[in-house]
Amino acid sequence: MTTPSAPPTRLKLREWLKTITFYEIAVGMKATLMHLLNYKPITLQYPHEKRTLPDNYRGMLALLRYDDGTEKCVGCDLCEAACPSRVIRVVSAEVPGEPTKRYSKEYYMDMTRCLFCGMCVDACPVDALGMTREFEWAVYDKRQLHLNKQQLLAIGDRSFPVREKRLEFQHPNTAFFNVAFTHVPPKPD
Amino acid sequence: MTELGLRFAITLTQISVIVGIVIVTVLLLTLAERKVLGWMQDRMGPMEVGPYGSLQPFADAIKLFFKEDIMPAGANKFLFTAAPLLALIPAFIGFAVIPWGPDETWEIGGIAVKPFVISDINVGILYILAFASLGAYGIILGGWASNSKYSLLGGLRSAAQIISYELNVGLSIVGILILSGSLSLVHITNAQEGWFWNWYAFKPWAPQFIALAVYVISTVAETNRVPFDLPEAESELVAGFFTEYSGLRFAFFYLAEYANMVLVSCVASALFLGGWNAPYPGTLLSLIGFPSLAWIENTMWFAFKTYSFLFLFFWLRATLPRLRYDQLMRFGWKVLLPIALANIVITSIIVFIQEQLK
Repeated sequence: MTTPSAPPTRLKLREWLKTITFYEIAVGMKATLMHLLNYKPITLQYPHEKRTLPDNYRGMLALLRYDDGTEKCVGCDLCEAACPSRVIRVVSAEVPGEPTKRYSKEYYMDMTRCLFCGMCVDACPVDALGMTREFEWAVYDKRQLHLNKQQLLAIGDRSFPVREKRLEFQHPNTAFFNVAFTHVPPKPD
Repeated sequence: MTELGLRFAITLTQISVIVGIVIVTVLLLTLAERKVLGWMQDRMGPMEVGPYGSLQPFADAIKLFFKEDIMPAGANKFLFTAAPLLALIPAFIGFAVIPWGPDETWEIGGIAVKPFVISDINVGILYILAFASLGAYGIILGGWASNSKYSLLGGLRSAAQIISYELNVGLSIVGILILSGSLSLVHITNAQEGWFWNWYAFKPWAPQFIALAVYVISTVAETNRVPFDLPEAESELVAGFFTEYSGLRFAFFYLAEYANMVLVSCVASALFLGGWNAPYPGTLLSLIGFPSLAWIENTMWFAFKTYSFLFLFFWLRATLPRLRYDQLMRFGWKVLLPIALANIVITSIIVFIQEQLK
């Protein structure tokens, strides 16, 4: 006993008419023609015109300075610990002549690995790291993306011309917590 | 002797003018295709070379000219070199019988010259079909000689596809041959003079617009254009039969593809849409008193019709996705072929009745 096979699906007259008049194709061609007639390209001619970056854009990393030109970095290695892709290497040392203070003697970033998550910036207790709005860092030689401290400071200098005061000259709350509690009035001297 | 020499010079001039026009058209087409495709997809197309990318074809030509010419290891050297020429020459040779303008005869140095057709042979359309089939050899041999699996598969697909669809091209034309009683393109075009309903696509009692649809679909398949671009399906076969080609040889294949497009558009407008005939009787230029310049208007009409077909090619490319191979074959053999045959039968019955009623 063989089960009776299902009757062949017959096209309805309407669908048959649609098929023989290429109705679907005509709809598609109308769509493309309408795009041609209402031509509004969404292309940006990139090197000639650039799109506006969002305010929280995370671009190239940079080391910052205080307004008197001293480096912010205290060589605490927290950025190195926070970095998920081991971009950063810090060699910390005492400030010569000031045994209580430390600084980063050497500071390297391997930007070929950086994924621009911004965790190092969040981790920094003294806001010594910043993310600039630079993104055109295509180079011919990969080694040009291994940046040292001088290069990182230079990027910071050109991207952040307005610098903070030294920590000890700022609001005392800021100096302690590294957060500006602006609603608390400063203590009288 | 001087007459022969003059004839020779005139024919050479005609040939060089027409080849020049075709090459300029191909250059325009490469740009126009990218532009139109871009506009239809909300892009801009080439914008860098020249104002609004207008010099892009020249940049492409220079690039192709100076690229390294690579011959793959194990390739058949002779066929690998011959294949692009085998594709290119048949694509250009068909233009010899296309009437570009009115069927006039000019006196040049005491010789009667037909300026708008290189050679008015009485089997013109057969000649074009024959050479279009020869063009398939270039593709198949190019695919085979490259010693690459992608090229070979592209060539095989192209062979099957061109054979299948050439049948439909030939059969869709038969209705027109019945109506006009001639194979000469000049004669066919002359027979469509007058108002636009004299064009064979709209001819009263036996309109060939179904044949036109079959012809256009089949020529899209024959020139390997989207949606029938299986021989060069880039998502499956890299670039199909010209995967291994580079430099000037690649340019030849490219030129052949576009020249074929121009050729089938010319044939379509000459057969179905009245060729150089305006949609109204006579020409406007002769009406306002310049009968000697009427050929300009006629040539412009021919160009307009041809370019409309070429635009249709781009339009289809922007709209439709690629067919699967079995769909392609089924569509060709089970749909288009019966339609074309039915068209022949109906047209011949109508023509027979008309002859009897006369």
